[in-house]
Amino acid sequence: MDHDVFLHAIVAGDASAFGGWMARAEPTVRLSLRSFAAVIDVEAVLQEALLRVWQVAPRFVPDGKPNGLLRLGIRIGRNLAVSELRRTKARPTEALDLEAAHAESEPEITPPDPMLRRHIANCRDKLPAKPREAFDARLSSAGADDDDALAAGLNMRLNTFLQNFTRARKLLADCLKRAGVVLDEELGT
Amino acid sequence: MTDEEAELLIEQVAGAWRPAADDELHYHKAWHDLDAAGRTRAFDLARALRPLEAALDPDGLSTTARAVLARIPRR
Repeated sequence: MDHDVFLHAIVAGDASAFGGWMARAEPTVRLSLRSFAAVIDVEAVLQEALLRVWQVAPRFVPDGKPNGLLRLGIRIGRNLAVSELRRTKARPTEALDLEAAHAESEPEITPPDPMLRRHIANCRDKLPAKPREAFDARLSSAGADDDDALAAGLNMRLNTFLQNFTRARKLLADCLKRAGVVLDEELGT
Repeated sequence: MTDEEAELLIEQVAGAWRPAADDELHYHKAWHDLDAAGRTRAFDLARALRPLEAALDPDGLSTTARAVLARIPRR
């Protein structure tokens, strides 16, 4: 699918369309930054890169090839990551080959799998109370609150909140595995 | 740092919350306490969690995408 189908609406200022584009583009842009993960906070860079895609979209000129906005997002993300490496030069960077990171081939575009939704919701519903509270708090907050605030809101200590969240994702991974859903192994470790 | 302490830091860094940004990016404070392996593990955990979050969201958005949407001024 060419994610540029969202472009006209995004240029017109439709934030919902931008959400639709992000739902499809985010995994690819994130993956393109993996080689930087040891030396920069990729989550911070990724969010800033996605925000900048929204900001520059009205001036974006498609080159006629599919997924131009996605390729722009990947470029913005990598440029930001390199800028971060330069800005934070006190941090160890010798292990990272910048040229190799730049030359890394663009990852494949993977569409979201709508079939997962029902299995995941079923498994979420089976979580014990406390792990589910922690998991749901993160989802509801959607990045707006740090874990200290989320823990306080649930009358938990931070470590208790984090332990419950860890338990929730491991239980979800086990449940999904039993349902035959193949997931990233990281989820259950 | 014990393994358990490192795991709790990784769990925090794998979340989508980041301090509000102004002119420069703000990292999660726990990120600075992790070594390279811990940071990479946090990245991989975030990459694994986001599709799960998106599958549970009515609009198919991860917490990362929601956090970005919350920052955009309406044009």
